[in-house]
Amino acid sequence: MNNERRDFNAPLAKPSAKARADASGPRGMPLIRAKDFSVFYGSKAAVDRVTFDIQAGKVTAIIGPSGCGKSTYLRAVNRMNDLIPGCCTSGILSLEGQHLYASDVDVVALRRMVGMVFQKPNPFPKSIFDNVAFGPRIHGTVNQGELGDIVERSLRRAGLFEEVKDRLGDNALGLSGGQQQRLCIARAIAVNPKVLLMDEPASALDPRSTTRIEDLIGELRGAYTIVIVTHNMQQAARVSDMTAFFYEGRLVEFGDTEEIFTRPRKKETEDYITGRFG
Amino acid sequence: MQDQLVISKGARRFRRLGALLGHALIVALASSSIVALLFIFYFIVRDAVPFFRLEGFKEFFCSTHWYPSREPAEFGALSIFVGSALVTLGASIVAVPLGVLAALCLSDILPFALRQVVKPIIEMLAAIPSVVYGFFALVVLAPLIQAHGGSVLAAGAWMVLAPIGLVAVAVGGDAASARLPRRMRTSGRIVSWVILAGIAAGALVVLTGALNRLVVSTGTNALNVSIVLGIMALPTIVSVSEDALNSVGRELREGSYALGATRAETLLKVVVPAARSGILAAVILGVMRAVGETMLVWMASGNSARIPSPWFNFLEPVRTLTATIAGDMGEADQVTGSARYHVLFAMALCLLAFAFVMNVVSEYVMRRSRKMRG
Amino acid sequence: MEHRTRTLFNRSFSFVSIASIVLMSLSLVVLLGPIFIKGSGAFVFRGTVEHRKLMLDRFGRGDREAVGIEAARADAARKPIYDSLERFDALLEEGDPELRSKYAADFEELKGLVQELLGPAPGAPEPALLRQQYGQTRWDRAKIKLHEILFVEEYDYSDPTKMGVKILKPRVDRFKGTSLEPVFGQLERGVVYMMRPRLTCYSRFLFDESYDSHFFGGIWPEMLGTIYLALGAMLFAVPLGIITAIYLAEYSGEGHFVSFLRTCISSLAGVPSIVFGLFGLAFFINTIKISPSKSVLAGAMTLAILVLPTVIRASEEAIKAVPATYKEAAMSLGASKWRTILTVILPAALPGVLTSVIISMGRAAGETAPIIFTAAVSVGKPLAVWQTLTQPTPALSWNIYNLATEHQAVDEIRHVQYGMVLTLVMLVLILNLSAILVRARISKRLRA
Ligand SMILES: Nc1ncnc2c1ncn2[C@@H]1O[C@H](COP(=O)(O)OP(=O)(O)O)[C@@H](O)[C@H]1O
Ligand SMILES: [Mg+2]
Repeated sequence: MNNERRDFNAPLAKPSAKARADASGPRGMPLIRAKDFSVFYGSKAAVDRVTFDIQAGKVTAIIGPSGCGKSTYLRAVNRMNDLIPGCCTSGILSLEGQHLYASDVDVVALRRMVGMVFQKPNPFPKSIFDNVAFGPRIHGTVNQGELGDIVERSLRRAGLFEEVKDRLGDNALGLSGGQQQRLCIARAIAVNPKVLLMDEPASALDPRSTTRIEDLIGELRGAYTIVIVTHNMQQAARVSDMTAFFYEGRLVEFGDTEEIFTRPRKKETEDYITGRFG
Repeated sequence: MQDQLVISKGARRFRRLGALLGHALIVALASSSIVALLFIFYFIVRDAVPFFRLEGFKEFFCSTHWYPSREPAEFGALSIFVGSALVTLGASIVAVPLGVLAALCLSDILPFALRQVVKPIIEMLAAIPSVVYGFFALVVLAPLIQAHGGSVLAAGAWMVLAPIGLVAVAVGGDAASARLPRRMRTSGRIVSWVILAGIAAGALVVLTGALNRLVVSTGTNALNVSIVLGIMALPTIVSVSEDALNSVGRELREGSYALGATRAETLLKVVVPAARSGILAAVILGVMRAVGETMLVWMASGNSARIPSPWFNFLEPVRTLTATIAGDMGEADQVTGSARYHVLFAMALCLLAFAFVMNVVSEYVMRRSRKMRG
Repeated sequence: MEHRTRTLFNRSFSFVSIASIVLMSLSLVVLLGPIFIKGSGAFVFRGTVEHRKLMLDRFGRGDREAVGIEAARADAARKPIYDSLERFDALLEEGDPELRSKYAADFEELKGLVQELLGPAPGAPEPALLRQQYGQTRWDRAKIKLHEILFVEEYDYSDPTKMGVKILKPRVDRFKGTSLEPVFGQLERGVVYMMRPRLTCYSRFLFDESYDSHFFGGIWPEMLGTIYLALGAMLFAVPLGIITAIYLAEYSGEGHFVSFLRTCISSLAGVPSIVFGLFGLAFFINTIKISPSKSVLAGAMTLAILVLPTVIRASEEAIKAVPATYKEAAMSLGASKWRTILTVILPAALPGVLTSVIISMGRAAGETAPIIFTAAVSVGKPLAVWQTLTQPTPALSWNIYNLATEHQAVDEIRHVQYGMVLTLVMLVLILNLSAILVRARISKRLRA
């Protein structure tokens, strides 16, 4: 692959803050709205009539005990649940005002706009370069130079570029777990999405890598609307602006992170946060 | 931004059409196996029917007069069916105990490193083409059996019976002495060992003496084929039953060990019963392999269309369905349309029907075992 | 049962089952041992001067001068034999009827045998068949021929309760008191000088055409036929097999159609191979007349159906073994299903798929029954690629059968048979081995 030898030190035009703000819509506006939204596996409601708005440009954490439907909600946002047979939804879930489960929604375009990072790092068994270039390629970028730019930019944003710039052609599976997860983040942002969904992105990693991921989320704040599912209360408190607490499929409480963690309004939230269950 | 998320009606229709077409194409291509099987059935039946129309069923299944080239021709295939059954039976006698024991050994007894050595041996046995087995049976084994048939049999009997006898004597002697009062036990054990060993050795010597006196008129006989066919069927039986044994959970084994059972007891009383449907399926698949084998039996079974007398006399040559098809088609080929041509398709139909039924049975058995496991 | 007895039983059970493994391994050794030992005799053997003459005449190999000198030396050594025979012949011709009736038949037999050993006498008219134009090319065959010359096989039927007992009588007894008596001694002592055996490596055995129905030469037409058939079968089976596997692993749910499809695939796997042969004959050749008679094409298609289930099953397993996370990742990036399959799933499943393809190829190469009626002939030239569409071919598997059972001189070409068997076995084993290596290598690369 000849792009390994590209000059990555050439100055790159960073997208200006304004451009980023444009890309993700005006800050503070609701970007993802759920209204009486439910997801069913067969007849069982895994997400049960939740209603809340996620603001553009902010980091929103979803917390709750295991099995309460956090992942299900998250996967509903980019319609990854379509892959599961017997899964259906009711109510409204909209992105920029467009109901996502309308029949004329282009799932491919949606997924391009809504990137996802999974619990376990899942890079493809390809080179680092090919991993990051995967998204742009399937969306039609074929020019090697352009791809090189995108790969470098994405890797830089994910804070991985310096570590891997000499071995972009190496197999991605040779990276450490933390590096793999950052590579997955780079891969997700390479298609320039508006929303980044992260499903417990650090739960499979060691503490140091976890910190790096958290820092990274802090850096990405503003550029992307981030929704992060986490088990870890401190993590939610550290990285998020808003927090939603799910319990048994229902949304119990949603509000400013600080408020939720300091003055929860509901008893269940308080019990959960103080570690009395879950 | 909405226009990005939403797809226009035309584009959606186009995309759906594309997906539908793609799906249709892949279903069509995937159905090629169905088509192939149906075609096989159709073409075999199509060419088998004229035979039954010309000659009826009775002679074919009930008579032993196989004279297809005589005038008038006779198509009594009973002895050929018996031949097929006989070599299959022989092969099963060789392959089933050996295969199941080997599978047990692989799944539970051998250490991991040794397993990795044995697996390729099984793969090699499975990979060797049947014509090579046939060549071996014809060129190496047949002359050996012909020249020293009795001694070969005697050696085989020793090889199989001696270890089993040894085990039986040891365990039996021990068990017998266990009934005795404590102080007599040691001497009792030795006495019973000696007595049992004497009986076993005597029986073996008598048996080998009898075998040694046997005269084998031809080396290309049912015995030769059964042995080699058994070895050919081994890999199937071993690998399928090993799968079955491995899929019996650890918990079951551990439960048994926790109750103080030895490994042999665990295997025989817990694991094998739990895996019995899988093992049954393995045996069925092995039998199918044996019934359908052509080259080996054609080369080394002697191809004589007579029922051995007595019927279990493995030292006589036999003729099987597969070998008859392979051997007679050469002559029948030129007279496409004659009863002589169609009778071979009738035989193929019997083989096909047998294989199909066996396959369905083994699938059923496997499915049931999977369901039982949950 | 007492504890001791149980332990003993446990031990003996392990012993018996390990014995079964040993027996199995032993049978592999017993099977492959003779094949490897005798099969290598087709490649490395003690060749006589006749072999070198043949190589020079037919293939233009060897040093003309050196072979000429050697042949002259051998002829010099043989001369007394030929001379004696000629003199005795003349004596019989002279016409003493008593002498004639006594010796004519025995003499003709002897003359024939000597000619088979040494080749025709110099100056004699050239026989029609190639095998009669040369003496024994292999020293092992020459020794057997010599033994045939020196001893007559007779059967003793004096004991009616037993089968005839073979006894060997010196042939020289038949010529007691004639001028031929010393010939036998001369032959026995001088055969080394007449045949001049030398260790020969005939590595071109694989790539030479055969002469005079495998009496001489190599097995190239068979090799090539086997390669054509195996590759041709793969050409049809691999695309179909992989697509079916993709369908089963990625597209199908658990409907009736799928379970019917699965039943069909496993039934297809259980169909006896000879039935495939009949089907190929009835369908490809007699019905759709894909070629005027047997052809490589018809055989390859028949074999393709035969290996299809193997390809499907192994590929499906390989595809299913690809972690679902790869698929999710690709989907979450907006890849369509096809895109995901082609760019992520198939590459990740490649080692398994490739392994299945290689192993199926070995199977196709070794199968005989399906090609008997669809593709195989006993004797043939190596085919060009375009000829495979219309013409039948010899193939290793078929010719092993044919040479071992139907050839007119089965015993005299054992070495060719063994050589073919060894070649076929090696071909199949190498394919299997490379499948294992491919799997190990690629999966290492994938796991990094
Ligand atoms: N593929 C599935 N099929 C059926 N039920 C599922 C599936 N995935 C999750 N569930 C159920 O849905 C509920 C919510 O699951 P999930 O969203 O994964 O919870 P979590 O909050 O731990 O991420 C759980 O009770 C789980 O059992
Ligand atoms: Mg979850």
